[in-house]
Amino acid sequence: MSEPSIFFSEVNERQGVFHRRTFLLGGFAGLGLAALGGRLAHLQLVETQRYEKLSASNQFNFRLVAAPRGLIVDRNGAILASNRPNFRLLVSREEDLDPKTTLKTLAAFVPLDEARQARLAKDIARAPKRSPVSVMEDMSWEEFSAINVRAPELPGVTADMGEVRVYPHGGAFAHVIGYVAKVNKEDLAPTGPNSDPILLHPGFRIGRQGVEKAFDLDLRGKPGARKVEVDANGREVRQDEGGDIAAIPGKEIQLTLDVDVQNRALEVMGDESGAIVVMDCRTGDLLCMASSPSFDANRFVRGLSGPEYRALALYDRKPLLDKVMNGTYPPGSTFKPTVALAALGAGIDPEARVNCSGGWYYGGRTWRCWKRGGHGSQNMHDAIKNSCDVYFYQTALKIGPDHIAKAAHAMGFGQTFDIGVPGNQKKGVVGSTEWKRKAVKREPVWQPGDSVSYGIGQGYVAVNALQLAVMTARLANSKKALNPRLIKSVGGVEMPRGDAAIDLPFAAEHLKYVRGGMEAVANDTSGTAFRQSQLGLGDIKMAGKTGTAQVRSFDKLASRSSVGVTWKLKDHNLFIAFAPYDDPRYALSVIIEHGGMGGATAAAPRAREVMRVALLKDPELRARIEKPLPLPEVPESVIMEGAAPEAPIVTPPPPAPPGEPT
Amino acid sequence: MTVSALTRPGERDRAIVKFSEIDWLFALALCLIAGTGALMMFSIAGSSWEPWAGNHLIRFGLCFLAMVMLAMVDLRVWSALAYPIYGVGLLLLVAVEAVGDVRMGAQRWLALGPFSFQPSEVMKLGIVLALARFYHGMSADSARLSWWLLIPLAMIAAPVVLVAHQPDLGTAMLIAMTGLSMVVLAGLSWKVIAAGVISVVAAVPPMVMFVLHDYQRKRVLTFLDPESDPSGSGYHIMQSKIALGSGGFFGKGYGLGSQSQLNFLPEKQTDFIFATLAEEFGFLGCISVLFLYGAVIFMALRIASISHSHFGRLAAAGTTATFALYVLINGAMVMGLAPVVGVPMPMLSYGGTVMVTVMIGFGLVQAVRVHRYSEVTSGSGALL
Repeated sequence: MSEPSIFFSEVNERQGVFHRRTFLLGGFAGLGLAALGGRLAHLQLVETQRYEKLSASNQFNFRLVAAPRGLIVDRNGAILASNRPNFRLLVSREEDLDPKTTLKTLAAFVPLDEARQARLAKDIARAPKRSPVSVMEDMSWEEFSAINVRAPELPGVTADMGEVRVYPHGGAFAHVIGYVAKVNKEDLAPTGPNSDPILLHPGFRIGRQGVEKAFDLDLRGKPGARKVEVDANGREVRQDEGGDIAAIPGKEIQLTLDVDVQNRALEVMGDESGAIVVMDCRTGDLLCMASSPSFDANRFVRGLSGPEYRALALYDRKPLLDKVMNGTYPPGSTFKPTVALAALGAGIDPEARVNCSGGWYYGGRTWRCWKRGGHGSQNMHDAIKNSCDVYFYQTALKIGPDHIAKAAHAMGFGQTFDIGVPGNQKKGVVGSTEWKRKAVKREPVWQPGDSVSYGIGQGYVAVNALQLAVMTARLANSKKALNPRLIKSVGGVEMPRGDAAIDLPFAAEHLKYVRGGMEAVANDTSGTAFRQSQLGLGDIKMAGKTGTAQVRSFDKLASRSSVGVTWKLKDHNLFIAFAPYDDPRYALSVIIEHGGMGGATAAAPRAREVMRVALLKDPELRARIEKPLPLPEVPESVIMEGAAPEAPIVTPPPPAPPGEPT
Repeated sequence: MTVSALTRPGERDRAIVKFSEIDWLFALALCLIAGTGALMMFSIAGSSWEPWAGNHLIRFGLCFLAMVMLAMVDLRVWSALAYPIYGVGLLLLVAVEAVGDVRMGAQRWLALGPFSFQPSEVMKLGIVLALARFYHGMSADSARLSWWLLIPLAMIAAPVVLVAHQPDLGTAMLIAMTGLSMVVLAGLSWKVIAAGVISVVAAVPPMVMFVLHDYQRKRVLTFLDPESDPSGSGYHIMQSKIALGSGGFFGKGYGLGSQSQLNFLPEKQTDFIFATLAEEFGFLGCISVLFLYGAVIFMALRIASISHSHFGRLAAAGTTATFALYVLINGAMVMGLAPVVGVPMPMLSYGGTVMVTVMIGFGLVQAVRVHRYSEVTSGSGALL
């Protein structure tokens, strides 16, 4: 401080500059703060609504909730397909999650072996982010609660309760109802109903076959949504109950089928392979569409394992094939009523007699009757009752194939029916000159010999069980060309009935005559199925027709007996019937694949059992059955026995059949 | 105590007098800001002192004590320590280059026993002290424009280059801007300032394209066009703006900010705590806090302007400039006006390093106030 004056001015000048510039610095800072304030005002006061919306869309999320799948019920409301609760374990992919570690941790609670862990880890890695993968289904309550308690410390893991399809009758309705299964990549479509994001939900199942497939959209319903609060990682924090959108359950589908009839049909089929169809002769409702053997549809819901599927696919009785609609068979003698109708229509006198001596020499060969000794002199009635082949050889030859084809078409053969399910129905074959010219390139001309075998339902004719039932129902109805109906109502809306149909192009007395023949088959002691057709339901009688369909050609001298022949080479065994004879209510057809020769052996006894259930379930008929028999004519002791429907009051001695009728 | 008593020789060196000379209103403003920070941390932790709010208050308490103690330190001591602190800071920056920890892709941390710290923080204080010390010995003419200007520019450039190389662009810019603002405050010619500003503006685009690291360039570009990358870097800016905007005038209410409570807001307790505040307390809360910051800056600059020594003036003003830059850069970043750079809101954000730096700086500012009448010699520290 030796030169204070100079120093002082120096200091003063520095101070002055500093003060001005500090003022400037303060001004800049103030300006900056003001700018921030202005920006805040813009964001928080002017644009606040826009940001509030963005904030809410951050905070809230809608989670899809699958709608309960619609029920499928039988004609009386008994449940054929419903849903049951299912405790699921779901793992979703998250940023900070290694699926392998999570799965290892989970293995402590639920059985997860190494191989499954590896497969699931791959699934989780492949799944879209935050879209959960089902790790375990059908956990026990203990497993479910154990995991639920620990879920907060296991990121990405949720244990929840979903619904899973259940078929309480297992395989009984598998072919008709089909089943649901996991959604494949192929199911997803960019537009239309299959573009719905609900398909990606782990619990969602898509209809794969039958009713489940045909009415999939009706059954699905409309998914709801759960409004949840989520954090930045998409994890659920809270639920906003008020914001939920309720799911609309799928529509209920009511079928015309009857649980008891169908179950009884499967029961009597036992190990046999074949089909049973029962149809209401007045409405066309299908009470039973059983295909045997069947498979448990419940196993398909969870996904079938490879070996399991192969076992089903390779079994030679073909459980996966719907034999009601997809299997075609030569009708054999069950075709004879149709031939008879055609003959009557063509002007053949039913009383004209044909002599049967066990065979008929025509066209350079002997056409054998099933009865070696022959039936003797036969009119049409006798021929139906005895299923005389010679009579129908000659009649068919006389009227030619086109009359028969016309009658067959009118009875429902050679066509498919729209019963509401996809099921790849087979049309079968109805031979005619026209048909042969088009279809058989190798030999386009109809030979007289073709007519001969046509007459007994062999050769150029093939039918399925549904067509046989329709034919029987039309014959029994005698007025309308009934159409079968499977879907009774969808979501409470009744579907068109089967009797809204055109009239049959046959004269009433012709139909009556043929029905009379079928009555004799079952009720005349010499009929081919007399023994097997006794219902034991009082005065309610069944009418029927037996049939045998050859699957191999027979040497002239070879026995047609099925004893000792391998299953695959045995004849198919058929039977058609309706009851009660005097006022037909139900018609049925039974096909037993390789059931052996003679419709009466395998098919007719089964038909009787199924028919009994159908008749007993009908309240009108039940009243008629339970009506006491006229008292004075029968001794009291017999009434006691007669009360049991199984024991017929008068047991006529069964005729010893010389050979099995066809 | 009368004014005449304070003029008595030696009276101002008494501890009790020094203590009373501390600007307690200034201290109160700091407490309010730190308290608001703790309040927000308590909210976003789901009404819990753990893990941030409690720590924050404890740290602030310790730093507050440090500030009071530093306020007692004579300006001559500060002046004497100016160059040594700068020198040690520079050495540490070189050391971190050699042996520092790499965290989050940048080499910033140096371990010192159980503690680890960022030498760049030391430099924030070091550059202020060193430049104040340098200009204290300069005449007004020399400060306006002379070849001496090269020395402060070199003093600024050395740490800036080292910090930018870590790479910590935010801190490097902060050091550079603090240093340059001090050069301006010291009285640099306006012509030189204008030329410098023009050349910097011209140099920015090529810098962005060729010198910056990829992630730094991405931040800048995303800032210019946030929609180009909504889920990447643009996400931070977008979520922060949503938090602010959805707060409205009164805010969503304490503890009810969905953006921060549900983790949509990134770095909600540190760099983006202002957005948390904005969401829960709205425009009203934000303006109040900005007002507090403004008050702190105003009071600190006033302290700077009443100091009798040039060293004290420049030191206090430089510290204030650093603080103001923190506030403005963080505010602009949170509001989507600046790219996302790792600059916290001082006192409000969680984080020990910045708190320590800022509070030591305010210790210096308080020391300038307490010792406003003392003279500092231009020579090397006579007291030491």
